[in-house]
Amino acid sequence: MRPSHARKSRFLEVRRSIPRRQAILSAIGIWIVFFGIWLIATEGGWVNELLVPSPLKVFQTTWNLFVDRGFIGDIGISVGRVVIAFAMAAALSVPLGVMMGSFPAIEAIFAPFVSAWRYLPAPSFIPILLMWFGTGEAPKLALLFLGVVFFLITLVMDHTKNVRMELIETALTLGANRSVTVMHVILPAVLPDIVTAMRQMLAVTWTYLVIAEIVASTTGIGAMMMRARRFLKTDEILSGIIVIGALGLLFDLLFKAAHRWLFPYLKESRG
Amino acid sequence: MSSTVLQLDRISKTFQLGGGRELTAVDRVSFEVEENAICVLLGPSGCGKSTVLRMIAGLETPTGGEITLGRHPVTGPGRDRGMVFQAYTSFDWLTVRRNVEFGMKINGVPAGERRERAEHFIRLVGLSKFLDAYPSQLSGGMRQRVAIARTLANGPELLLMDEPFGALDAETRWQMQELMADVAEQAKTGMVIVTHDIEEAIFLADKIVFLSAHPGRVKEEIVPAFKAGGRIRPKEELVQTPGYAELERKIMRLMREEGQHE
Ligand SMILES: Nc1ncnc2c1ncn2[C@@H]1O[C@H](COP(=O)(O)OP(=O)(O)OP(=O)(O)O)[C@@H](O)[C@H]1O
Ligand SMILES: [Mg+2]
Repeated sequence: MRPSHARKSRFLEVRRSIPRRQAILSAIGIWIVFFGIWLIATEGGWVNELLVPSPLKVFQTTWNLFVDRGFIGDIGISVGRVVIAFAMAAALSVPLGVMMGSFPAIEAIFAPFVSAWRYLPAPSFIPILLMWFGTGEAPKLALLFLGVVFFLITLVMDHTKNVRMELIETALTLGANRSVTVMHVILPAVLPDIVTAMRQMLAVTWTYLVIAEIVASTTGIGAMMMRARRFLKTDEILSGIIVIGALGLLFDLLFKAAHRWLFPYLKESRG
Repeated sequence: MSSTVLQLDRISKTFQLGGGRELTAVDRVSFEVEENAICVLLGPSGCGKSTVLRMIAGLETPTGGEITLGRHPVTGPGRDRGMVFQAYTSFDWLTVRRNVEFGMKINGVPAGERRERAEHFIRLVGLSKFLDAYPSQLSGGMRQRVAIARTLANGPELLLMDEPFGALDAETRWQMQELMADVAEQAKTGMVIVTHDIEEAIFLADKIVFLSAHPGRVKEEIVPAFKAGGRIRPKEELVQTPGYAELERKIMRLMREEGQHE
């Protein structure tokens, strides 16, 4: 019998965290495999070059789009739409969700309304939004807004309801009135969860952005991709997809960084 | 001359359960708490100790009877009755100092005085080294001490504590008991403390209110007469004082009798 501390480490360990180096190598590895297969398939002539261009060509095209074709302008327009629509949705959802989560009387008014709207797919409003708002920025912003606002309200409300009753009762016995309790106890207690919910819903906003731009726009990343389709430029379509993915990732990282910066006290948590 | 700060006059609480059923958790409970005095609520699990305490705090409305603080009836929570819960209630987004200042801040105590009082009470609970730490950096027992300092710093007339030391280790628990005894003697603060620990009850109590279960009623009011109105310290001396062992046996007997009804 060998002593137990000499137990050799294995690749698969149930719920045992792995070293950071291994995590990074694993993450890079899977992407190398992905691009490798893509490269072999196209270079080896296994797939129709017209439908699946090689990854090298896609990167080349992406570069050209930025340098020669003013792609950054389209990206700017798309990012602007996401940011504006999301800011409007958050400006409504956060106060309303916190109020609904704090006061059952307010929840009773809005919850039945909000949950009904949540089950309506936002894209079903595209035709009517186009008729109401024409072809400017308004119908796109409206679609993005409708797509996330009801989910965000519900998430904020649920998180607010999860603020522990003891915290609220502590505030009350210290002499807090309603507004102090909501603004100085419930809100700061729930804020980290709100930022997390916003991070999740921002990803959904990107989904609606692409829908809006593909269906009804002449500008933005989605519109660029639809133009490319007409000219059978699969490389440009794939460039668009890669850029959208990269932007989504970037925003996610920004939110994560903001979370760490805004709530330093969470990081220090023991256990 | 000590005067009464708190008076419970035939307090009852009936909870409405689902399906039209009712549960009388507290039934016509009466007792008084004197200025500077510690009143300990003892009794088997589920006898309504927490419910009584919550009604005194104004967090629960009695279905019968009246609670009077000073000369005014209790109608809701207020800063005159500070409460320390068993669960941790530190505000995680504030440092220890700001946690302790919280009550004073919302009640408009000027910044200078606030700071001074906060530091005083943080020193009292032995956390001076952690003034600017966040609660997440503290152990469970330390967080509970933050909660106690925060409540005391707010200057309540009455301090309510629901098994506040339950989660503390023996050493800290002992220190906190000594601290509460000091506070009761120095500040003009009455206290109602719920506990399961008989030794703690006898050490702290000027009066023990023993509740029986289902429904919760006052079974017996016990004044530990052998302490002659004071607190006997240190604790090892208390347990050797004539009268202590007898009282401990009596309370154990009450506990056992009540436990058998279940
Ligand atoms: N909000 C509530 N709704 C319904 N029943 C309740 C509620 N709060 C307490 N009760 C019931 O009232 C009774 C007394 O509860 P309470 O928590 O006051 O007991 P306790 O003496 O503090 O017990 P423990 O020592 O275990 O903490 C219990 O039977 C409990 O189930
Ligand atoms: Mg209890």
